[in-house]
Amino acid sequence: MKLVPRNLFFVVTLVAALFAAGCSRQSGEHLVLTGSSTIAPLATVLAERFEAAHPGVKVDVQAGGSARGVADVRQGLANIGMVSRALKADEGDLVADTIAQDGIAMIVHRDNPVAALTREQIIAIYTGKLRDWKAVGGTDAPITVVNKAEGRSTLELFLSHLKLEAPAIRADVVIGDNQQGIKTVAGNPQAIGYVSIGTAEYEAGRGTPVRLLPLDGVEPSTATVAAGRFPLSRPLNLVHRGELSGIARDFVAFARSPQVNDLVTGQYFVPPAVR
Amino acid sequence: MRVEALDRAGRSDRLHGRWMGLLAMLTLLVPLLLIGELLVDGLPALGADFLLSAPTDAGLGGGIGSVLVSTLWVLAVCLGVVLPLGLGCALFLVEHVRAGSRLERALQLTLDVLGGVPSIVFGLFGNRFFAVELGLGFSILSGGLTLACMVLPLFIRAAEQSLRQCPTGYRQAAAALALSRWGFARRILLPTAAPGIALGVVLASGRALAETAVLLFTAGYVTRWPGSWFDSGRTLAVHIYDLAMNVSGGSTNAAATALVLLVLAIGIQALAVALGRISRGVSA
Repeated sequence: MKLVPRNLFFVVTLVAALFAAGCSRQSGEHLVLTGSSTIAPLATVLAERFEAAHPGVKVDVQAGGSARGVADVRQGLANIGMVSRALKADEGDLVADTIAQDGIAMIVHRDNPVAALTREQIIAIYTGKLRDWKAVGGTDAPITVVNKAEGRSTLELFLSHLKLEAPAIRADVVIGDNQQGIKTVAGNPQAIGYVSIGTAEYEAGRGTPVRLLPLDGVEPSTATVAAGRFPLSRPLNLVHRGELSGIARDFVAFARSPQVNDLVTGQYFVPPAVR
Repeated sequence: MRVEALDRAGRSDRLHGRWMGLLAMLTLLVPLLLIGELLVDGLPALGADFLLSAPTDAGLGGGIGSVLVSTLWVLAVCLGVVLPLGLGCALFLVEHVRAGSRLERALQLTLDVLGGVPSIVFGLFGNRFFAVELGLGFSILSGGLTLACMVLPLFIRAAEQSLRQCPTGYRQAAAALALSRWGFARRILLPTAAPGIALGVVLASGRALAETAVLLFTAGYVTRWPGSWFDSGRTLAVHIYDLAMNVSGGSTNAAATALVLLVLAIGIQALAVALGRISRGVSA
């Protein structure tokens, strides 16, 4: 009588073990990508289209940060790593293939007379030291500083480019996505903000009253970003180590091909110039 | 004079009552605002299609069907491990360990320490141990087992407390009737403690459903329909996080997914309460 429940427990364990053994991993080719959470959504849509074109192949995308992508490729836990920056000097053992550029543009209202801002002026505006457009050659009106919410990749890129820390920013408006940024600046002639350059160029071309500001003398456009000349941009890389297997090589080539340009722009990134 | 003082006391009591009432209303306002905001943002995207199809276009298109299934699988693995292990441990603590003994103190300390460990530490541990050392990879199994480690102390504590609330009279009556220890535990102790245990299940699954960082490292990020529990599968919380933070224009679907998660959590709560009531009814 006392032994019955114990037997029952063993039976349950046994059944569970059999079940586990029963649904073992399916064969077929399997590709694992890990790394930057900025690239992960793009990699997911690339993987979807790649899987559709290659039946039987599974591409698993795992997010966790660029550092994780590098570490996993080195340890052999992932076939391909996703790194949203250029490789560092001590990462010479890895090979990087750029699949897109992530660029951001400073935008102001179309009616704002200020033609350009220097890097120092932008820093002063975003840290609250400069509060009036008059000081940078504009009208006599207070500046509305529009900043991105914490955790956004555009915010990270913006901060690292200007070498600022997040707590140093004095923002009047905090926005979430690009569309919200465009709407905020388009509706306020005194606002300054920054959004993904693809979105900004598209909206300005469509007649939305926003204007893109040149940075360090470089014209803000997807063309200069694609060429890697625009300062506020970073490459989105797929990295690997040593020889790639057949299917992994196919995937990297696919991710760099013009047939996925729509997916890249769909995620507000810029396809690289050399394809 | 005295009557006046009493009157004043009565008046200040009434005033205090009103203040407390106002504060209570304010606390009620928080969930109302939260749900209202989610409904306004997410309801337009919600529909049968949304619940039944897999995400496309990084979550901007399609639905959350596969994500929902992965979530339920992860939860099932987690509870499947936590329930037998946690109940066993709680019964052992209540029935077989002498209060104040060294073993009891050691167990309690272990549970307290485990309960206080931040979830991200469990995530790193689960990634290292289940995904890498045991070779389970990014999979529903890794995710469920890691979550099980995380919520085990919480569940054991809840189960233990409700087991301890069983009146001593029941125990004495059972002993007088020469009922075996197991017989007592099965027929009397567990049914009387059932509502408390059900609450433990609610707490455990609530914490499991809320987790993102842990699951990002173990169950993973893949939105395909899971074919087996060795497949990687994204859970609802991870999906919400990704849509809100990494995908431009994902906020509507994030809100819709949050609504589904909310309904799921409330559903589990209702189910657990109902089960607890039924098992108590059976025993009575």
